[in-house]
Amino acid sequence: MNVLLVGMAYMTYYERKVLAAMQDRMGPTRTGPHGLLQPIADGIKLLGKEDLIPKAADKPVFFFAPLIVFVTAICSVAVIPFGNQITVFGEDIQLTIASLNVGALFLLAFSSIGVYGIILGAWASANRYSLLGGLRSAAQVVSYEIILGLSLVGIFMLSGSLNLGDIVHEQQRALEIGPFSISNWYILSQPLAFVLFMIAAVAETNRAPFDLPEAETELVSGFHTEYSAFRFSFYFLGEYIAMIVISLFASTLFLGGTDGPGSDHFGLGILWLLLKTVLFLFFYIWLRATLPRFRYDQLMGIAWKVLLPLALLNIVVTAAVRLATN
Amino acid sequence: MPWDLVIFYMLAGVCILAAGGVVAASNPVHSAIFLVICFFNVAGVFVMMGAEFLAVIQVIVYTGAIMVLILFVLMLVDPENLPEFHQGRPVQRAVGVLLGIILLLEVSVAILNRQVIGVKGNATAQAIDAVGGNTQALGRVLYSDYLFAFEVVSLVLTVGVIGAIVLALPERLGLKTLPRRGTISLGHGKGIDAEAIAMGPVEEMPMQPVAKDVIPKATGGRRLVMVKDPDEHTGAK
Repeated sequence: MNVLLVGMAYMTYYERKVLAAMQDRMGPTRTGPHGLLQPIADGIKLLGKEDLIPKAADKPVFFFAPLIVFVTAICSVAVIPFGNQITVFGEDIQLTIASLNVGALFLLAFSSIGVYGIILGAWASANRYSLLGGLRSAAQVVSYEIILGLSLVGIFMLSGSLNLGDIVHEQQRALEIGPFSISNWYILSQPLAFVLFMIAAVAETNRAPFDLPEAETELVSGFHTEYSAFRFSFYFLGEYIAMIVISLFASTLFLGGTDGPGSDHFGLGILWLLLKTVLFLFFYIWLRATLPRFRYDQLMGIAWKVLLPLALLNIVVTAAVRLATN
Repeated sequence: MPWDLVIFYMLAGVCILAAGGVVAASNPVHSAIFLVICFFNVAGVFVMMGAEFLAVIQVIVYTGAIMVLILFVLMLVDPENLPEFHQGRPVQRAVGVLLGIILLLEVSVAILNRQVIGVKGNATAQAIDAVGGNTQALGRVLYSDYLFAFEVVSLVLTVGVIGAIVLALPERLGLKTLPRRGTISLGHGKGIDAEAIAMGPVEEMPMQPVAKDVIPKATGGRRLVMVKDPDEHTGAK
């Protein structure tokens, strides 16, 4: 968890640097060498700001709402398989915190609970614009959750299990294409599901180009308008952790997780997983830098009219192919 | 220390307290939050019984979707429009409390004198492990023995969704839909914009000249000064 928190802080740094490079400028360079101490400076600033609570706000709910987002995002990491088993000082340690046999759904469940952080925070702010922004955001997240789940059904059909460790094992088997033998990563057998998952993942975390509830209403307000200082940072960093978790999830499901040369013998599996995660995070930042954002009705229209039928089509085709080849 | 029992009592205790909170909270959104806590603990109890799939589905569907939608509605309700708490004549309230106590006694008597009759099913722990886990066991049973029921339920849900959409269509509510313009929609495409609809389709709206006294003078009687030089009217000159 410590790694995750530090990773999340430096994710902000990574994002600023990459966005800057894409926009032909430099990003943070002054705090520390190459701006590496920037997240620490941001943290100190956020801790030091005054904590304002609106008078009409509902205090217990106001207090807990950002925590829900933060905590559920961190808890989701419990099911990601970071490897098989290592022996440290004579003790066997499993590198997966909780190898549940419904692992993939566990992650989806926790991201469903994360919606409450948004919606309760919006309501507790006693601010009409917050409420509307929060409701929009929650509606967006709930719609894209459906697509997230449905796009994974194809993978569950191919691997026969919801356990993420099993899914990684299935992808480590060899796939023969002509004279080549590569790992059976699901991105090759489920390309449509991969595209749908990436789109839904970007929308789930309220990131560009789907960040209308955060950005446009931010011009007026947004669901986190009444949150200052550390509470705001809970929302903000919770979003980054959710990004990291979904990138880990995507690398596990589609790119084979800890699979890669040297992962069996030299224990380099976790390095490969981190590399793939960083690749997905780069993709997230790339989308943010490049695409304009969707208008809210376009966003919801795409989810229900385009992506949902495509996800169902993916399920039907996968099932048909599996039936035909068995 | 029987940890199972401790954890079960913790989960069940929080669940019952939360259920009490649902009834006792004065704010409906607080009630909904307590209900969410209750559902979450029920999911925990499911996990303890070995039905992990059910627990996760409970969280995803019930807590994560249904309660969110209920919260949408509750949040848009003005608290002043709610019925008064603890309203009613004293006789009504006394009878209500009495009936509640009688119901509680009946249920306790039923629970304490229970006898489990019936045949134990064949879903023993070994049988479930043999097929690979409770997800697989559920899947096998659901899609073979209970397939018809499954299809009927999905049909019922589809009918419900279609019904909800049909009931809320603007045509149904007696409003005409605006013709879509070819330009960027202002979000009023099928919207309920009563005045615009009452005025008729877009092309027929006449240009109404605005009377001079409708728009008040923006200056309010003050002298408007056009300043070209920033130092002209300050004391800096």
